[in-house]
Amino acid sequence: MTAHSNEAQQMRPGLWETINERYPGSMITKDDLVPLAHLSKPLSEARLTFVSSAGVQPRGTMPFDVAHPIGDYSFRRVPSNSSPAGLEIHQIKYPTNGAHRDLNVIFPIERLQELAVAGVVGGLTPNFFSFIGYQMDPARFERTLAEEIAEAVVAERADAALLCPA
Amino acid sequence: MQRAIERKGIPTVSITVARDVTQHCQPPRALFVPFMMGHHFGVPFHRELQQRIILAALDHLVMARRSGEIETIPVTWAQARREGKAIEQAIGQRD
Repeated sequence: MTAHSNEAQQMRPGLWETINERYPGSMITKDDLVPLAHLSKPLSEARLTFVSSAGVQPRGTMPFDVAHPIGDYSFRRVPSNSSPAGLEIHQIKYPTNGAHRDLNVIFPIERLQELAVAGVVGGLTPNFFSFIGYQMDPARFERTLAEEIAEAVVAERADAALLCPA
Repeated sequence: MQRAIERKGIPTVSITVARDVTQHCQPPRALFVPFMMGHHFGVPFHRELQQRIILAALDHLVMARRSGEIETIPVTWAQARREGKAIEQAIGQRD
């Protein structure tokens, strides 16, 4: 009996250990917490951004390098007014069977557009941000890609960020 | 990534299907859903469920008072799949 016995279990138990075995040194472990930032305005007035590691990108942009042994440390901007038909997935590290039928299961761009129209959020940043979740050098990831996306999120004057580690 | 954005003063929340990975990285706020990898917002064409998961995450973003808290939502993958199949039959996506 564990402390979590009453909570729903994840479908693939021990994922951290599995990935760390398969890709030694790739997994991040932190022992400190980042102080919470707080919304400066009601959610209904806040500009929301979305950051995804699902490898979703506008059709015709340079595909993510899913075969590079060290990983791809680049990101793509995905206009938040895109339609799913204008987007494609370049990533092989998660099951894309659902996403290929309805992209919203991993990149819920239409649901986010609806929330903005309904006024649940004040609006969306002009772009969302996309990368692939495969980097063998987590220190480089934190030093480069994480900071670059964080700066891009600030530059688009986001008030809040929803993230989805695919 | 999430921690870098939060450090810039922007509140963040993530959706995770791997509670153990999230516990290792300690993002400021996360919502755990017991779904299959690659299906964080549920199943195809189930708009209401996709919406509900986003709203639960945003609710956590507003309400959380302690960094590192992982919120949960009373959903199951089996239920999501059942509902998804019914929706697909209703809209003619499945025989």
